[in-house]
Amino acid sequence: MTTATVRPRQAGALRLWNAPGITRLRREGAVAPITAFVAFFLVYVIINPGLLTRFQLQTAGNLVVPLALAALGQLIIVLVGGIDISIGAIMSLANVVFATAMVSLPVPLAILAGIAAGLACGLFNGYLVAYLRLPAIAVTLASAFIIGSISREVMDRPGGGITPEFYLATSGELLPFIPISLFWLAVIATGLWFVLQRTALGRHIYGVGSNMDSVSAAGLNARGAQLAAFALSSVIVSFGAIMLAGSTITGDPRSGDPYLLSSIAAVALAGASFTGGRGSIIGTILAACTLGLVGSLLFFAGINSYWQYVISALIVISVVGIPVIWKKIYLALRKANS
Amino acid sequence: MTTTSSTPATRQGPGESSTAGGTETGAPRRRGSVSRILNRMPRSAWPLLVFVLLFVIGGLIRPNLLSLDSLIGTATFAMILAIASFGQTAAVIQGGIDLSVPNTIAFSALSYLTLIGPLGPVGGFIGALLAGTLIGVVNGTIVAKLGLTPIVTTIAMNGLLFGVVLLTFKNSELTVIPQFLTDITATKIDVFGLRVAAVLPLGLALMLLLQFVLSYTGWGRSLFLVGSAPETAKLAGQPVDRIRIAGYALSSLLAAFSGIVIVGFYAQASATMGSEYLLGSVAAVLVGGASIAGGRGSMIGTLGGALVLGQVATLVAVANLGSNIQQLIYGVIVLIVIALYAKRGRD
Repeated sequence: MTTATVRPRQAGALRLWNAPGITRLRREGAVAPITAFVAFFLVYVIINPGLLTRFQLQTAGNLVVPLALAALGQLIIVLVGGIDISIGAIMSLANVVFATAMVSLPVPLAILAGIAAGLACGLFNGYLVAYLRLPAIAVTLASAFIIGSISREVMDRPGGGITPEFYLATSGELLPFIPISLFWLAVIATGLWFVLQRTALGRHIYGVGSNMDSVSAAGLNARGAQLAAFALSSVIVSFGAIMLAGSTITGDPRSGDPYLLSSIAAVALAGASFTGGRGSIIGTILAACTLGLVGSLLFFAGINSYWQYVISALIVISVVGIPVIWKKIYLALRKANS
Repeated sequence: MTTTSSTPATRQGPGESSTAGGTETGAPRRRGSVSRILNRMPRSAWPLLVFVLLFVIGGLIRPNLLSLDSLIGTATFAMILAIASFGQTAAVIQGGIDLSVPNTIAFSALSYLTLIGPLGPVGGFIGALLAGTLIGVVNGTIVAKLGLTPIVTTIAMNGLLFGVVLLTFKNSELTVIPQFLTDITATKIDVFGLRVAAVLPLGLALMLLLQFVLSYTGWGRSLFLVGSAPETAKLAGQPVDRIRIAGYALSSLLAAFSGIVIVGFYAQASATMGSEYLLGSVAAVLVGGASIAGGRGSMIGTLGGALVLGQVATLVAVANLGSNIQQLIYGVIVLIVIALYAKRGRD
């Protein structure tokens, strides 16, 4: 298309479309999930304007933050071309270790214990994948069994020593206006963005996912980057587990289980490439928000909440599938014209 | 994906000689027959060997475990897992994975129990299998035509089916099992003088049939080809998309079948009845020697893998360690198996 025929208003829109930030989002596949979230959010607010009240926003925040963090953890693994089947189990383990440690240890040490437990899982997976070169899906399948079993050994039924003060600090009304859980999510996501986009390690992680051989050939430590990705992912997931423990005020050895499938769904909805190297942080967070709130939207709309499973699946398939179909139609049309 | 540097001989499953073997006689034949046997036989024989080993170890710990009754007990348990994993085997061989197995099982079991009212036992049976096949066709079409990742597609399908199951079957605990179904699964029958549950010969027959299809039909071989080298298959003029769709359809058809078998054997159905088969079926397939990257695997191996896991469950139960430790041991076994196979693949 030639710029001469484009009218000024369209040119403005086109310029916006081609702005550096937007271009990056497009390249990372984030436009579709952001659009989906905006549409979803508008529908939600129209059906239930009460979302914007303090209490409901806080409840919604507590619901989506653990999922968003689990999805970010999954995203990092997907960026290096892998997939993590053990993410739910890691979440359960960090959750119960943290809740158990809270009984006897001060809060900072308990948080460290939870993160150390998660990190150990990440290093275990990462070592097997990066240095023994085993397929990530098979390794994490095996470690899902192992880690899940360990977390049920640590704590065989829901419990632990999480205090109301900790609920206040992670999920309660600590800040004016803003739900504190969203604040913590923003802090962690910004930190992750900085690591991925502004440090050499982050560039290596993206590079390994795009083309591992090229990264190795360039003399960089590709395996180290892969291991670091697993470690980073498990730390983020552990934060998610701690936020989950804070919002439910319990440790539960099965609390992470639902996050395995939903974290993968969120990363898919975010437009990340499962062959690695492409995926957006903001897209993943908004995709997690969309999927996490489908259930409560149906509740407010007075629809049987079992529909959430069907609708979530259809959202994932259509948001990921429509651009593919669109591209095929576009190519077919262009072929027909020429 | 990681393509391990293996020779053509190791990439092809057992019994490939009838179709693909004739075209390429040069390279693989020159290797000694011993190395050929070592390279090709063990894949499906090793799990069986490990099972025998575990069985003997069990007998050394508890002599009364070394009995035919104990063997039949373990085999029956393992056969149920194997039947649920045969479909997964087909999905993995053609280069994908089917994570919609759990809720396909629940969906087909519940729709069978619902359909026997209007359609009768056999009509309901066929109806449930057709519904299962449709699930697989949708999975396969999305994967092959839209290019979505198999994991994402089948996870989405699994979620969708969970919703459908919860919405469609109001009383999700149905327990009226028709006699016809009990007869082919739970009823004890005499086979060569042994009293075994009917599901055991049923599963064996199914395995032989499926292994025959995989090894000796062109369509079966094409699953391996598409799984190991999709680009090559495309260049060779194979209808890759159609083969993939058929692979997923077979996977879901078999998952639906296993749902009906599980209902018949345990005489109960619920919305979450399939959940243990999400990771269990993949574990059985991997322990059975399939490659998660596709192009390798066998039904006999999957049965061997299920037997290994079943024997571990028996040993853990005898040692009174609890199901939690059983899961831990499952994980360790899968890890050892993939490490061993990866090492062999690289040599």
